[in-house]
Amino acid sequence: MDRRSFIRMLSYGLVGSAFTARRLGAAEQEGKARPIQFVFAQMRYRGGDWNPHPLAITPLMEELMLRTSVEAATARQEMELKNPNLFSHPFLYIAGKYDFDPFSQEEIEVLRRFLSYGGFLLADDALGQPGYGFDKSFRQQMKRVFPEKEFTRLPSGHAALRSYYLMRRVGGTRMVRPYIEGITLGNATPVIYCQNDLGGAWERDQLGNWVNSCSPGGEEQRRDAFHLGINLILYAMTENYKEDLIHVPFIRRRLSR
Amino acid sequence: MKDLFFIGTIPWWAIVLIALGALSALALQFFSLKPRLSGTRSALLILLRGMVFALLIFLLLSPALLERKTTKLRRPLALLLDTSQSMGFAANSDSTQGGAKPRSRLDLAKEKLLSGKEPLIQQLGREYDLRIYQFGNGLAPVGADTLPQLSAQGRGTRLLEALGEASGQIGDRGALLVFSDGIANSDIKSAEDLPSFPVPIFPVGLGETQGFIDIRVADLKVPEFAFRGREIKIDFALEAFGLAGRAVPIYLNRGQNLLSSRNISIDKDTFTQRVTFSYTPKEIGSHSFTLTVPLQPGEQISQNNQQQFKIEVQRDKIRILTLSGAPSWNYRFLRMALKQDPSVDLVSFVFLRTPTDSVDVPDNQLSLIPFPIDELFLEEIKNFDVIFMDDFSYRSYFNTLYLEKVRDFVRDGGGLAMLGGARSFDSGGYGESPLREVVPVEMNGRGTYQTGASLRATLTPPGKAHPITRLLPDPRANEEAWKTMPYLTTLNQVVRGKGETLLMAAPEGASGGTPLLTVGRYGKGRTLALMTNDLWRWNFVAVGGRESPQNHLKLIRQSVRWLAQEPSFEQVQIQPVGDSNAPGEKMDFKVRVLKDDFTPAEHARVRLRIVGPEGEPMNLEALAATEPGDYRTEFIPTREGSYRLEAEAQLSGKPLGKDRRSFRVAFPYGELEDGRPRPELLKAIAEKSQGQFIPASEWNEKSLERISAKLEAQSPSQIVEQRQIQLWSNLWFFSLILALLCIEWWLRRKWGLV
Repeated sequence: MDRRSFIRMLSYGLVGSAFTARRLGAAEQEGKARPIQFVFAQMRYRGGDWNPHPLAITPLMEELMLRTSVEAATARQEMELKNPNLFSHPFLYIAGKYDFDPFSQEEIEVLRRFLSYGGFLLADDALGQPGYGFDKSFRQQMKRVFPEKEFTRLPSGHAALRSYYLMRRVGGTRMVRPYIEGITLGNATPVIYCQNDLGGAWERDQLGNWVNSCSPGGEEQRRDAFHLGINLILYAMTENYKEDLIHVPFIRRRLSR
Repeated sequence: MKDLFFIGTIPWWAIVLIALGALSALALQFFSLKPRLSGTRSALLILLRGMVFALLIFLLLSPALLERKTTKLRRPLALLLDTSQSMGFAANSDSTQGGAKPRSRLDLAKEKLLSGKEPLIQQLGREYDLRIYQFGNGLAPVGADTLPQLSAQGRGTRLLEALGEASGQIGDRGALLVFSDGIANSDIKSAEDLPSFPVPIFPVGLGETQGFIDIRVADLKVPEFAFRGREIKIDFALEAFGLAGRAVPIYLNRGQNLLSSRNISIDKDTFTQRVTFSYTPKEIGSHSFTLTVPLQPGEQISQNNQQQFKIEVQRDKIRILTLSGAPSWNYRFLRMALKQDPSVDLVSFVFLRTPTDSVDVPDNQLSLIPFPIDELFLEEIKNFDVIFMDDFSYRSYFNTLYLEKVRDFVRDGGGLAMLGGARSFDSGGYGESPLREVVPVEMNGRGTYQTGASLRATLTPPGKAHPITRLLPDPRANEEAWKTMPYLTTLNQVVRGKGETLLMAAPEGASGGTPLLTVGRYGKGRTLALMTNDLWRWNFVAVGGRESPQNHLKLIRQSVRWLAQEPSFEQVQIQPVGDSNAPGEKMDFKVRVLKDDFTPAEHARVRLRIVGPEGEPMNLEALAATEPGDYRTEFIPTREGSYRLEAEAQLSGKPLGKDRRSFRVAFPYGELEDGRPRPELLKAIAEKSQGQFIPASEWNEKSLERISAKLEAQSPSQIVEQRQIQLWSNLWFFSLILALLCIEWWLRRKWGLV
């Protein structure tokens, strides 16, 4: 798309926005009855600590609904790998601090099938000690799931970092790694792993206070954690949508500013 | 005139012995007479007897007279007049000057045959057993009185075949006089391939090679099919004669629109240059193109300055536009299925943010792009084949004007699929929109979107045979496959299906249910309504149940193809039509007709419409063939050119669909392409047949005499009749011998010897 087309398209978009404002009432009316489109499923496993931040998900879901068109269940769905309803929730979150028991062979096969056919797994290390605790166990288990695959650092242009926000940084309660890693199968990255304790940054108590502080970036780092959470959910639901040709020139233009 | 000759049945030595015997006898007789008669009287008697012996010996030689009678016959002569289209070209460059209609080669031939004090045709009729033929594609006898009315209409020149046929008809003693320009476009075109001819041929060459001025578009190479959006090459040769030093433009038009042009400088009198135009078709369908070189001053042939051709532009990929109201698993798995399909080109828009959503960063930190409403619905929509509205409500983004464009898109042949969700059907406001009439379900504005149920999809009778829901070829296995599909949790309520409902949704164990998947038609387009946004469960949840995701992928793939009206998903299918038919050859058209449930339609009414090269329509009715659902008809094209075949079928008055194909009818040669006369071929024919080539410009009163002389030298036309008269049985000889013997006897008696 050339410059002229871009300007014209932008102007169309503005026209669309103006019209949208007039229709706001109708949209709000529709919004009331919106059924849930997204359920945040969290994996419950044996051993270790599968639930380091019990209050982390609701703030993320609220943020998701506030910022995007996704209607989500505010409460998470706890899910074991053997749960027959596992495949009703293509987005799966695994978090932890410590070593956990190895998955059974059946669980490994279920997880492989889940990830190979369109499921998505977000892994979050709450301990933040590379090579220890959750990090060690999780990497071992993923090696069993995909023996031929390695975790690789996702490039800054990866669709997961552009699915909603144009992310230049990743967040979390600490900055163990300034990037996220993933296992890529074909054109998709069904496993994304963050070691910066995203859940800790999302967690808020029932009075609305943040449970954990974020360092060294403070609230900006927390905001990056929410942005990353939203991006990863949208990436799971839209795959490489933001790598479609129609998006590329816009994104490139905005990132160059 | 009579000639004496001896048949000689008795050997010569026997005759000599007899002659010696006779001489001996005469000598003995003379010596026996001498004492009794005087020498004079003895000699007289011996002379008489010797004359008798001489006559008898003469008769022993079997003398005979040969009588010759000479008769002159009228030699058979076939006059062959070339009436192919090339004979309509100007006879020479002079005849193209001025405003009057130029004198054609055929006019020149007629002039040679019919003008003058005693026209040539009369002379030929007087001197020869004249038979007159015209030839083009075939040989046909004509009367002398019809020669003035003959016109150059033959679509081809089967010159050598015509000569062979005429030679056979005229007989060994005949000859052929041929008026032709020598253009031969049958299988045999060159002198090297000439057969032998049994009779001499005298070609009269029409048209000039010296001073021949012509420019033509030749040897055109274009693909019959092209893919939309992919560049094609239009390659041809520009041939020019007698136009050295000129620069000529070439124009490539599609219909009336100029696509490209180029100027070519001609540097030689006999000039050939290959020219290539590039063109990228943007619209699907059959498009007519024209390559044109303007008529040059003095040019003798105008017909070959232009070449028309058709290209069938097809899509290389099915272009799909998806509009999704929000990120969803339905979109995720729909996208995955479409992206896996190599024949699909996907453009998707997902509304990641609604107008009520607020963001905590400036817009330039978002990857959101403006939704190009005008560009999409006013300009680009025609370039898509199928639009998916996936849980998408227009109300938040644009007014109904744009939905009217979607309606027009479907009416004009596009495909529209509406997938369920909280923003679809009545919940998306479509019950009161221009799409209400398009979507194949009836909405009353109160239909709700329901969640939390456990619904099973069941095949309806039409669904069992429909290509969209045919997941497995075996009907029973297909039904079983549908029974094992994961249950659905969401449903959009509609009043009823307007088209064919293929799937019903009902709670587990219940019968009946409400429409789940309905298909229909609107205008030329097709529509599909799926009243759920849980389609993805047939993929991923099935995978969780250790089933294959293939059913979901196949359902989407088949839906897309059906919506895009892929030929294999048409209910009316014209079977492939060959493109090598020549005018006059019978063509057999076969049409396959399927009912709405895709079973063979046995009692359909199938009408065919053939649009000829000049746009002239011809209507045909196809009759049922032996195979159920097959219909056949025959057609004999009469002229060269591009034809369009349209088939339309109805069953009990209900349209089942249409199909369209184009085909080309042409002789395997082009009569009007290269109008240069071919005297060298005519010369070779004359030489091979021992005839003589005479250029029309050199034809005069003496020409016919020269032909006659040559023919006479080869085989005279006078026939000599011979008759043999044997003399031994002649009465005069017998009487003469008898008279000589009687005189001898009378003298002997008188002189006292008896």
